[in-house]
Amino acid sequence: MFKRLKRADFSLSKAMTMVVVIMVFTAVIIALVIFNTVFRDSLEEAAITSADQSVEQVSVTINNYTSDMIEIMDKLYTNSIEDPSSQEELFRNLIDIRNDVVMVATYDVHNNNTGIWSNYPTKEMIYTNLSLFPVPDSGEVINISAPHVVSVLENYYPWVVTITKTADETFSNAAKIAIDVRFSAIARYIDEVGIGRHGYCFIMDGDGNIIYHPQQQLIYAGLKREMPDLMTLSDGSHMIDGVIYTVKTLDNCDWKIIGVAYLDETVNERVSAMISASVLIFIIVVLMTFVSSSLFSYLFTKPAKKLAHAMKDFEDNAADFVFEPIEGSVEVNNLSDSFEHLVKRIQRLMEEVKNEETTLRKTELKALQAQINPHFLYNTLDSISWMCEEGKNEEAVAMVNALAKLFRISISRGHEIIPIEKEVQHAECYLQIQKYRYTNHFDYEFEVEESCKEYLCNKITLQPLIENALYHGLNMIDEGHIAIRIFEDGEDVIMEVEDNGSGMTEEQVEELFVNDGTDHHGIGVKNVNDRIKIYFGDKYGIKVRSELDEGTCVTIRIPKITEERKYEK
Amino acid sequence: MRNKRNVTPLSIFVCIFLLALSMFSVFLIFGKRNQPNPLERATDRKSFIVVIGKSDTSAFWQSVSSGAHAAAAEYNLDMNFVAPASEEDYEAQNSMIRAAIMGQARAIIFSAIDYNANAEAINEAIEAGIPVIVIDSDVNSEGVSCRIMTDNYLAGRMAGEQAVRNNLGTLTVGVVNYDVNSANGQQREQGFCDAVNESGRVADIYTVNCLSTEESAYECTTELLNEHPEINTIAALNELMSLGSGYAVRDLGVADEVDIYAFDSNVVSVGMLETGEIEGLVVQNPYAMGYLGVETAYRLINDLPLSSDHIDTTTTYVSASNMYDTNIQRMVFRFEG
Repeated sequence: MFKRLKRADFSLSKAMTMVVVIMVFTAVIIALVIFNTVFRDSLEEAAITSADQSVEQVSVTINNYTSDMIEIMDKLYTNSIEDPSSQEELFRNLIDIRNDVVMVATYDVHNNNTGIWSNYPTKEMIYTNLSLFPVPDSGEVINISAPHVVSVLENYYPWVVTITKTADETFSNAAKIAIDVRFSAIARYIDEVGIGRHGYCFIMDGDGNIIYHPQQQLIYAGLKREMPDLMTLSDGSHMIDGVIYTVKTLDNCDWKIIGVAYLDETVNERVSAMISASVLIFIIVVLMTFVSSSLFSYLFTKPAKKLAHAMKDFEDNAADFVFEPIEGSVEVNNLSDSFEHLVKRIQRLMEEVKNEETTLRKTELKALQAQINPHFLYNTLDSISWMCEEGKNEEAVAMVNALAKLFRISISRGHEIIPIEKEVQHAECYLQIQKYRYTNHFDYEFEVEESCKEYLCNKITLQPLIENALYHGLNMIDEGHIAIRIFEDGEDVIMEVEDNGSGMTEEQVEELFVNDGTDHHGIGVKNVNDRIKIYFGDKYGIKVRSELDEGTCVTIRIPKITEERKYEK
Repeated sequence: MRNKRNVTPLSIFVCIFLLALSMFSVFLIFGKRNQPNPLERATDRKSFIVVIGKSDTSAFWQSVSSGAHAAAAEYNLDMNFVAPASEEDYEAQNSMIRAAIMGQARAIIFSAIDYNANAEAINEAIEAGIPVIVIDSDVNSEGVSCRIMTDNYLAGRMAGEQAVRNNLGTLTVGVVNYDVNSANGQQREQGFCDAVNESGRVADIYTVNCLSTEESAYECTTELLNEHPEINTIAALNELMSLGSGYAVRDLGVADEVDIYAFDSNVVSVGMLETGEIEGLVVQNPYAMGYLGVETAYRLINDLPLSSDHIDTTTTYVSASNMYDTNIQRMVFRFEG
């Protein structure tokens, strides 16, 4: 029941569409999953590696830069101690040579300014000096400040970092030397650093204050914000909300380089591109599947359905069915042609069967009618009555018995096919009766092979032929002889009725098969021949061999059919 | 006949298949080009936008320009910053607008020298389908897509309130304003006057309108102070006015008697904070104006929603006492690239 329901629900084209869609869908999903897991990991790794490298490079460069400055500072310091008189010249040279040194200043132990060297004019009156700031009082320590503007120059406020060195002893009225180095060199370098497509680097001090950020203008303008708790991150790469933060603390100051790289743009973009491509492929495949399935349906499924309908119609009403050829693919066309052929053939066969049935009924009826021929009955009864009168009781009894047997076999409870044995008895009875009537005008003999007796034949086959032989063949002859022979011939059984009567011309022989025996002499050769052919097929039937004044031999060929195998043919 | 019938559906199928295949390959080719992120996608044809400022020499406008450049770089736009040589030349601005229309700019970011005289050209641009974003000072047009500016009235009030706070006596106010047709100058004046008037200690307010040049401001201020020596508070309503007034006060030697409340900053006016000619500066956020202007243009070009059609940028009051605070340093002193 379930199976049948299932079978009814799915058309071939729908099933095809479903299968293709599911297959493609699965393939796309699997591809996406694999891409996401495998490639995302490797891309992530690559992104982290490149961020690490960039940050490492930045830290090396800035380290070099600051060490360079610290080295200069050390030189100034040692030179000042060794030769205080050259101090002035040294500072002058430094600001001349190094364009990035904006200002050199010295301070005494009370942080009073004792000298400023710069290529830019200083203010007439200095209100604030941002380059001077308290440094830990611990000997030869070099201190690097956060970026600030120089506030002592006239109408010029460059951004600098101040490198300060405190001496434990004064050298030519200075206890502290400060160099203001332009920050723009570092800034420009930081600006150039890119990590990935959108990533960047910035510098932060140990307290989380931004020292320099490529987009610091945006940050100061309140348009951008960095993550607030970045300073808590240790050195190394950290992934927070799809952003890779790479932290590296500089060696010679407490600045940290922080690289920011966006994983989203590198990985998610590819994934989303992949997804959109897959979706498109999927849609195209589905569309193509629909197109092909509708084409398939147009070419095959619909014609097949039509054909099935036609078959059903044919099943319901075979006789009146008219088949209209169905068009589709070559296969469907072939099917349609074959079916058309089949229909025509079956209809023809049906017609034939119907006709044969009709003919058979008619011929059987005729044969039966012939048996109950009133003339024959009347004559026979007349003979019996005459015998009784003459006191030939025994003969009369035999006659009556023969007559009774004749009719019993003729009717055979309505069967058309009877064993040859019965047919032979039938013929014997007939001949017996006729022999009494035409006392010894003729004699007859039976040669029946024992093996043939069980085979079947049409009833009333021999009798009409014997009747023909008696009435037409032996009519004019005194010593008539009729021989009935039944024998096997390979797969067939041959029954022969031979007489030595007057014989027939070929025209007369042919006429036997045309004349349907409607004359008063009962049923003819044609009737017998027709019945044999209807029952056993065209290759069986009657053959007549006759020569004038010599005699006639009628041969009947029927297949070997036994009672058990009656219905096989 | 039969043969022909069999061939037709097959060839239809082949045609459909080839068509789909070619469509697919076309997609692949174009799709590959579209794969990179939206910023890189435009490299083939960057959107061209124009920023028309009032000047390209003042620190204020240089800051606007660098903000605009930063945003243009971030959003991968082809940005052109133009400004007339003089802050009075609205005709030059109009021809720049028309040039932008001719050049098929995708958006115009505009700051009007003249509230009314620039309106016609701006309307032409809007009719040509070019979205217009106004920064800093407004123009008399209904079709402007977005306005990004300081709330000039509030900025004026801020200066006025500081004046009231710093001077507990009677205020005699001189307002040195520039072009009477410039919307933001008028709004600042209004805000300043309202704030000082509310104190109830105002003796008089004298207003001069000079040309938007340093020299003109210098002359106007000198004249004003000569006519009304009792003036003890001056409002100088833009960068050039600040410089002119500052120099005038310095040259007249009345720096101690006269407090100048000025707008915008540059190195000279910041220096004047220290030397005392200028009492306080109301500093706008020009970088944000430039940046947000271009960002808004990007959103309009790409049909992205705007959060609002009016964005107020921040203002900060800078005086001698807070000018070297880290945050103020960063705002006032430009970082030389």
